[in-house]
Amino acid sequence: MQPFTFVRLQYRSGNWDTDPRMPSNLLHSLIQYTTVPVNEQEKVISLESSELFNYPFSYMSGHKLVQFNQKERQNFETYVRNGGFVFVDDCNHDIDGLFAKSFEEQMRQIFGASALKKIPNNHKLYRSFFTFDEGPPTTSFELNGWGDDLVHDYLKAIEVNGRIAVLYSNKDYGCEWDYDFRNKRWLAEDNTKFGVNIIMYALTS
Amino acid sequence: MAILSKEEAQAILKKALGFSKADECEITLNGNTGGNIRYARNEVSTSGAEENVSLAVESRFGKRSGVATINEFDDKSLEKVIRRSEEIARLAPESPEYVELLGPQEYITTKAHFDSTAKIDPAFRADAAAKSIKAATDKGLTAAGFLEHYTNFTAKMNNKGLFAYHPSTYVDFSVTMRTEDGTGSGYVTQDFSDVSKLDTGKASEIAAQKAATSRNAKALEPGKYTVILEPAASIDLLQNMFYNMDQRNAEEGRSFLSKPGGKSKVGEKLVDERITVYSDPAHPEVPEAPFAGDGRPQKKVTWIDKGVVKNLYNTRYWASNKGAVSVPPPSNIIMEGGNQSLEDMIKSTKRGILVTRLWYIRSVDPQTLLYTGLTRDGTFYIENGKIQYPVKNFRFNESPVIMLNNLEALGKPQRINGSLIPPMKIRDFTFTSLSDAV
Repeated sequence: MQPFTFVRLQYRSGNWDTDPRMPSNLLHSLIQYTTVPVNEQEKVISLESSELFNYPFSYMSGHKLVQFNQKERQNFETYVRNGGFVFVDDCNHDIDGLFAKSFEEQMRQIFGASALKKIPNNHKLYRSFFTFDEGPPTTSFELNGWGDDLVHDYLKAIEVNGRIAVLYSNKDYGCEWDYDFRNKRWLAEDNTKFGVNIIMYALTS
Repeated sequence: MAILSKEEAQAILKKALGFSKADECEITLNGNTGGNIRYARNEVSTSGAEENVSLAVESRFGKRSGVATINEFDDKSLEKVIRRSEEIARLAPESPEYVELLGPQEYITTKAHFDSTAKIDPAFRADAAAKSIKAATDKGLTAAGFLEHYTNFTAKMNNKGLFAYHPSTYVDFSVTMRTEDGTGSGYVTQDFSDVSKLDTGKASEIAAQKAATSRNAKALEPGKYTVILEPAASIDLLQNMFYNMDQRNAEEGRSFLSKPGGKSKVGEKLVDERITVYSDPAHPEVPEAPFAGDGRPQKKVTWIDKGVVKNLYNTRYWASNKGAVSVPPPSNIIMEGGNQSLEDMIKSTKRGILVTRLWYIRSVDPQTLLYTGLTRDGTFYIENGKIQYPVKNFRFNESPVIMLNNLEALGKPQRINGSLIPPMKIRDFTFTSLSDAV
């Protein structure tokens, strides 16, 4: 069995190099909770490169514009249609932000207007390793303490053959999980557990 | 009347104790005189003075205890308050955590009383406010400030032979300044035992500078940032941490120092090894009483030594119950720092945020010591070693334990809220949303 590799997608528009310590926290959790063998370093792969097709899981995030060039668009579509899994996380945690608007437009152009859909909170994703009865866990960035918390209580996905191929979050998990791994021990509950679910779903569905 | 000398206090306490028929009796006498001045919109709005002395008696019969208080000191009144505490004691249920009163104790000497502060008069207060207001009007700003000062004494005596007396003085000053258009705000706070160290004009210039340069703040995206926390920004979080180092809370599983199975984290490395924290009532900058409220001697105690938890405080009951050394809670916090100035810290920052003050702090999770609150009164973006522009205020979600693990640099400790705290540079401080408040 090939060890699991955390692949980050590099794209030419916007900014792809966000939350640099997030992957190491997720990999740490995979080692802690599962028996999945892992590569300890994340791998950055250009979306223009066909190297992407060697890996079943990839991550894409940013704050800014997402506008794929022809090669990027072609690779994204091929990867998704051929069984790849992309976890896309909006660093603005804002459904009106530039990343959200432009990424959703890209998905509309590639997969059609109705492809990206909200998934129900009882989806298999929420039971693929740990159980999340109430759907996606809330991040601290959504709870602003003023009582007008903008919590996105759903995730969206594009499903291919009944399986999530593009998982899309406006919750900014990347930022939530981006900390020195030594500080994990101070959390009341390890907040990367949902990340384990995402990876386990991607590897087993 | 308000400030009694050691001999005067002793005479009243002895007389009152003479009326006691209880098994155990402890009497505490507290007095203060003080004054204050308040100003807003660059005009003084309130000025006042106050003085009070009060006496509290705790009488005990076996494990039953009752407390009564009074502020009249003629013989009849003293007898009356003793009798009342005895009546209450007889009616009270037995305390399951009864511990006998302390006998005679040895106390170190601490110098916390300064004539300079005791002599503050209304003219001094008016002048202090005028200097602060001038710092505002010179820059076309609006100041709202408060200065208060106290001369205190506390004396305690019981029928087991304990006697303690401690005089002290204290002055506290704070001012907020706003620009006329209301888009800029600055703040400064200082407190001293010796008022000759306070220059309200000079202090106010800091607030004025912050206000004048914080107009038209830009919005930055919330997230994890390197922050430089001035002592006024970190003090509340740190006090919440150090005043939560109770042994019982830790051993009963209610604190950030709890370990499973009724153990605490004493002896474990909790934070960065550059963090050493102690309390010392004899420290000349932050002098405090050499005894705790229950009469236990206060001396230098190291709470965290090079990042490792060394001591927890306890009640006398918990200490005897657990066979632990009896340690009273700290009366001040002294955190060792480094030699860097705030300017040095800014210079060495590639990208970060300078925080003047955190306020409205509320507890989110006591077991991880997670707090939330807001920045206020001067928040600035730093890039390439320079303050670039003011930024909108943020809400934060952070634990002081995590904060002290993410330490980058320490500055020179400054007195604040009766403690000594260095400015700190911390990486990955979590700002979770923006606030429209100025």
